[in-house]
Amino acid sequence: MGALGWSVARSSVTFGQDSSRPTFRVKVDMVVLGFTVTDKKGKYQNDFKPADFRILEDGIVQKLNTFAAGNKPVMQILDDGTMRPLATGGGEEPKAGPDVKSDAFVGTNVFVLFDTSNYMYRGFVYASDAIADFVRGLDRADSVAVYTFSRNLNRAAELSRDRNDAIQGLRKAVAGDDAALYNSLLLALRDAAKVPGRKVVIVFSNGPDNASMVAPDDVRAVAEDEGIPIYVISTSEASKDAISSGVFKRLATRTGGKAYFAKTWQKQVEAFESIREDLGNSYTITYYPQNNPNEGFRKISVEIVNDVGKKYLVRVRPGYRPSRGF
Amino acid sequence: MRFLLTFCLIGCFGVLSAQEIANRARQLEEKGQTGAARAMLMAAVKDAPNDAVLLTIAAEFLDRHGDPSTREVLSRLVTILERNNSAERGKFAKRLVVLDMLAGDTSAAQKHMAIYKAAGGTAAEVPIPKSELGADFQTVEIPGPIRSFSRMAALSPDLPAEDILPALARNIVTNGYQAANSNEGLEQTEYLKLVVRYLSQARELSKIAGEAKKIRVEQCESPVSADLLRALGYRMRGGCGAEVVLETVNASRAFLTIDSGFPIAELENALRANRLFEYAFEPTKIPILYGAEYWLGAREKQSGEFIDQYISDPQLCRLYLGMSKLDRELAGKLKAGIPVLKLKAFSHVLDFFGGMYTIKDGKAIVPGGAKSEAMWAELAGAPVSDAPAFFDKVTSKDDGWMASYFDSLSRISGPVQDYLTQPDRLKRFYNAVRGKVTSPGPARPVFRANTDLLLLTSRLRVAPDGKPHIPGNIEVWKQLFVKHPHGKYDGKLTKAASGWKEADDVIEALFALCRKAVENEPLKIFMAVSDMDRRRAKPLDSATVDRLAREFRFHSSQYSILNETGALSDATILGYLDTIAAITAIRDQGVRSDAAGMMQGLVGVWQAFVRQRAIADADADAILSAVVSPFAKAKGSREIFEAGWSGVQTLLKAAKTPENANPHDRMIDLLAGAVNPDDADSHTQMVQDTIRVLEAQRVISLKALGDLATHLDELGKGAKLDPGIVTRVSGRLSELQLPRAGLSGVEKNALLFGYWSERHIEFQRKLNLRSMVERAGNDAAKLGDVKAALAPLLRDTLVGLMYAHYAPPGAQILFTNPVFVRSHDFLGLQGSQQTWKQTEVVGAGWPANAGGRLVGSLAGLSYALAEAEQNFLVPSREQALIWGDLVPQMVQSAKIPRFWQVTPAQVQFVSLHLRMSEAMLGEAAIDPAVRSRFVDILSNYAPPARARMVGDWLAEGKVKKALENVTPSEFYAVAMAAYGQQAENGDPLALEIRRLMRAVPQEANYAAISRAFGSPKPTLTNSYTPELTQVRTFPTLMGYSSRIMAESWESNLLYFASVADSSYITPSQMNVAVPEWTKFTVERIFATHLEDWPALLRSMRKVGEEIRTKANNAGRAAGGTE
Repeated sequence: MGALGWSVARSSVTFGQDSSRPTFRVKVDMVVLGFTVTDKKGKYQNDFKPADFRILEDGIVQKLNTFAAGNKPVMQILDDGTMRPLATGGGEEPKAGPDVKSDAFVGTNVFVLFDTSNYMYRGFVYASDAIADFVRGLDRADSVAVYTFSRNLNRAAELSRDRNDAIQGLRKAVAGDDAALYNSLLLALRDAAKVPGRKVVIVFSNGPDNASMVAPDDVRAVAEDEGIPIYVISTSEASKDAISSGVFKRLATRTGGKAYFAKTWQKQVEAFESIREDLGNSYTITYYPQNNPNEGFRKISVEIVNDVGKKYLVRVRPGYRPSRGF
Repeated sequence: MRFLLTFCLIGCFGVLSAQEIANRARQLEEKGQTGAARAMLMAAVKDAPNDAVLLTIAAEFLDRHGDPSTREVLSRLVTILERNNSAERGKFAKRLVVLDMLAGDTSAAQKHMAIYKAAGGTAAEVPIPKSELGADFQTVEIPGPIRSFSRMAALSPDLPAEDILPALARNIVTNGYQAANSNEGLEQTEYLKLVVRYLSQARELSKIAGEAKKIRVEQCESPVSADLLRALGYRMRGGCGAEVVLETVNASRAFLTIDSGFPIAELENALRANRLFEYAFEPTKIPILYGAEYWLGAREKQSGEFIDQYISDPQLCRLYLGMSKLDRELAGKLKAGIPVLKLKAFSHVLDFFGGMYTIKDGKAIVPGGAKSEAMWAELAGAPVSDAPAFFDKVTSKDDGWMASYFDSLSRISGPVQDYLTQPDRLKRFYNAVRGKVTSPGPARPVFRANTDLLLLTSRLRVAPDGKPHIPGNIEVWKQLFVKHPHGKYDGKLTKAASGWKEADDVIEALFALCRKAVENEPLKIFMAVSDMDRRRAKPLDSATVDRLAREFRFHSSQYSILNETGALSDATILGYLDTIAAITAIRDQGVRSDAAGMMQGLVGVWQAFVRQRAIADADADAILSAVVSPFAKAKGSREIFEAGWSGVQTLLKAAKTPENANPHDRMIDLLAGAVNPDDADSHTQMVQDTIRVLEAQRVISLKALGDLATHLDELGKGAKLDPGIVTRVSGRLSELQLPRAGLSGVEKNALLFGYWSERHIEFQRKLNLRSMVERAGNDAAKLGDVKAALAPLLRDTLVGLMYAHYAPPGAQILFTNPVFVRSHDFLGLQGSQQTWKQTEVVGAGWPANAGGRLVGSLAGLSYALAEAEQNFLVPSREQALIWGDLVPQMVQSAKIPRFWQVTPAQVQFVSLHLRMSEAMLGEAAIDPAVRSRFVDILSNYAPPARARMVGDWLAEGKVKKALENVTPSEFYAVAMAAYGQQAENGDPLALEIRRLMRAVPQEANYAAISRAFGSPKPTLTNSYTPELTQVRTFPTLMGYSSRIMAESWESNLLYFASVADSSYITPSQMNVAVPEWTKFTVERIFATHLEDWPALLRSMRKVGEEIRTKANNAGRAAGGTE
């Protein structure tokens, strides 16, 4: 729902243009934001504290609700700026919105989307090996789901921390048929959006797409609004189709992810390492947006307080549209 | 479900006598509160578990509704009756035998049969299947497990064993070979190459599995693991130990390993842990008709195992396919009398047309019966009395034309068959369809090429006087052929047409055109206009028919709209065509597009209102005319807006909208189906679903547009501007900001290539209404311009309402692409003139465009939307085949019919039919007389060969198998034919059918059921009005793929009605449930090929059983436990 990863936090039902009926324009107002900070050499910086960041939405400074660095436990930020772990069960329950569990931000929910269409015929087994390697290398705290697609999506392995489940699902993939990459990516994002906590979708594909009915940029908008970075792992095959490779780059950068184009599927080590580093070194914060009349695209920026010399680079999604709650 | 009511009933009425409980249950049942009735009965039974009278009442009730608890309660009843030595026990024991057999529970059936016999009953013993295999079958081995082979050969793992070789044959014939690049021969496709390679790998693995037929790796470092990994195409990365990883070393082998489903992940885990890996790798024995030797006799050279030779010979595959479709007795006689090589030469004819060959007592059963036998014998050149010789000739005579003719005439019955098989006509029409040059015959292509022949014979109408119905008159058809509007159809026919005098002349010409491979426009015209006449009390005037015929090429897609009701006058139909012409003549493309879109949207609303009876049939004509005619005079955008707004008001008024009602809310209420429904929950859900789509598409409400239009008029009269009214529209437009900025140069160039025309959307994005209104002040002319600017907005609202109305279950595009509605292209590519043509999906799979969109008119919107959204359905298993044509038709059939007007009695009426036939089938296993009658009736609706097979299975005691091979629509048809006799025999379900027919004749009659539970058939009947035609399920046909097959599939709603009955779901709840059930059904289809309707049937039944079980469990949980 909306810019969050879980069910409605504070919602408001508005009324239609001129109808007495509610029109389901539910505004979900807690935002989950993941970002990374690197120095000029590209080295991840993971020692920052909440007070080091200033989050702005359309230029309006936001008050942080929770903070998590890498795979460390999520901390609730109290009014006085101090932090305490977000715990469940027993004792006083910190207020972080309904349905939020303490382990919701521990680790990342990784949705692997594997292209098994005819376009991947030649690289199918190598890509399968590469994905298996990638899954094995994920942090223990991460959960992973493996989806495959050609003309339709197949949920080969549901989200789980059990790597065997994921690899068994992966190894049962059936190759062949048309490629509906963007349709399937949309469905994967819709699934991911239902899961609390931080999540990413990692697409393994060489492109192109010959069967989707949705446009990549409409899918990208969903990812932006849901706060789900898309990583695309591809090979130089993809560059034969300039449109696909361009779309891959745009999808990734606009959602806070990255696109990688190794020479072959066997040579994805670098990409995997980079993604794992991204996942392990990213910050995840949540906040309830301050009043903002803008119901369209809200621009997000993350500033580092006291970064006088602009030594650091923050990679964050550019913004989101408040949910209409369809 | 209203279980809660039960507690009140029980609590409120205290202790009731059994008869009182029965009466109350019946009253509830008649009110449609069957769930409450059930709960009351079950609670009563729970309180008095040994009361035979109560148990009887409950058991009969449950049986009437096909409740999953029926056997349980009946069994308890029989036990008590037996204990009491009641004379009634035999009757109920026999009923239990039938239900046991239907459930496949043979031992229970035997037990209850013994009780039945002990009570004095006479019946044959419960037959026990001796073998799963039919008598004519042997087995042949293929290497490896069937699961792996099925994955590689694209076969459904749910296929019955006897169907594996025919299904494989079909895949080989349709997908196994392609024309070679280097010569005129055929070469294997990639699909077949992989099957061949898999067989080779499976043999290697079989060797590794050894005598034990088990692949066994005891430890990581061993020769077996090395051999196995080599065969699988993998190697270990790193040495044995916790870090070992399997990686590809031979890509083609590794591909087979994964694609065939070898448990490579489990192997990897075992190696890593250095523990035992075991995998059964036994060869699979699959049934083969007549044994391998017979088929290999058709091979000139023989080498290798059967499976290798089989897949390397597509003609042999086709022979197997053809022979497996034949009546077993006939197949046996053909096998005995005709050399296999000769049969192989005509395998294509047997494959397509052999299923309709029928033999009885050695004699061929021919269409037309005794009166036509001599003529059939003359045409074939062999006597009908010698069936093998006769069918040999029919098959081999003229490359399939006679077999095709025989097939088409066998599929029909009644007056049309009588007319066509009158001996002189039989010969005359055969000569027409056969022509002089017979090659290529209709069985040569991959799809049957006798589509037109099948459509002509199955859709022809014959009047009570025995003459065929010719729309208009003969002169119209004569003129069509002589003064053909778009070039000659056929030189000879054009010449002959001037001499036509009678109906037979026209029909002969249509037969003659059926053999042509080109577009058969006259036949399509004939069928479309015949279908329009079929619904009408008075046939169309000849002038109307003439115009419809001449404009067919451009406007035929609109005829289904004109066939929504038989109540349209000739004047309205002609007026509709005039309006089309007027809109087509508008030169400005944007204005034309708005006019066409707006008119189509209004007509779509009219269709829905007529279908849902918001507009009475008697008013339909006047309302359509009033809605459409203003567009004939409109030239500019302002006039078009006025025409559109007047149409909205006309439609709302016709649907009895109160004066001050909100037009937008009212329109949504009406489209949802009922304004003041008894079942507010279902209605609210449907309204909410509609609003979600409209919100996602940023559609402007009718109220906002209407208020603004009115305000503009007031401003013209000097009123003061109310900015709020303008803001409601302009605010909505401001939401049209698309997330599509920053396309790359390559993408922009690609867009320019032709798919992208967003002028309509761009206009709305740039429209600054407030500024326009302010600048206009009180100047009437400028305010007129503002009103003109509202035309595209009103168009989108009306089109959006239609998109929402037909939104398929599981839709995604409608909620992801915010301009999907606005991007509907009413013009099409330049020169394509698609404005009035069928709705089509374009733009799929073009990553840089705005996504797919719909082009053309709105006539086929329900189908096109379902087609666009179908790939978002997620198959429940990894290898599901989503059919391109079947799924949209299934979804359309779930969305168009609405069940607000359907009564509980109608649901029960359908359910009783299905249940009565099923019970008859169960009884047929123990009663040869019932079996013979059942099979005779069934053969009128199912291919005779299948009907006979069902009879054979029943005789062998394979009741469940027989049950799985009869479709719900066939069961329904059998019950229609048999209920009278069954009622005379005392069948309680048949008696209940009869009771309902007498108690509620307006509801429980076949015409009403056809309307309530029929499916729309735009191709087959040229109408979206739901109906049951009870034609035999069509095969896939050239030019239509599986679309006509899908339209002839009438089982879904009939089956869902029976599910609703036994799950105690009300008809109004079906409005919400049926689309969901359809979605579940589609997601579970695991089919092998386009004609694999048994896969659809399996999926549907699985969904039905899940729903029944869930409802049953809910019933138990709610207190009605038994």
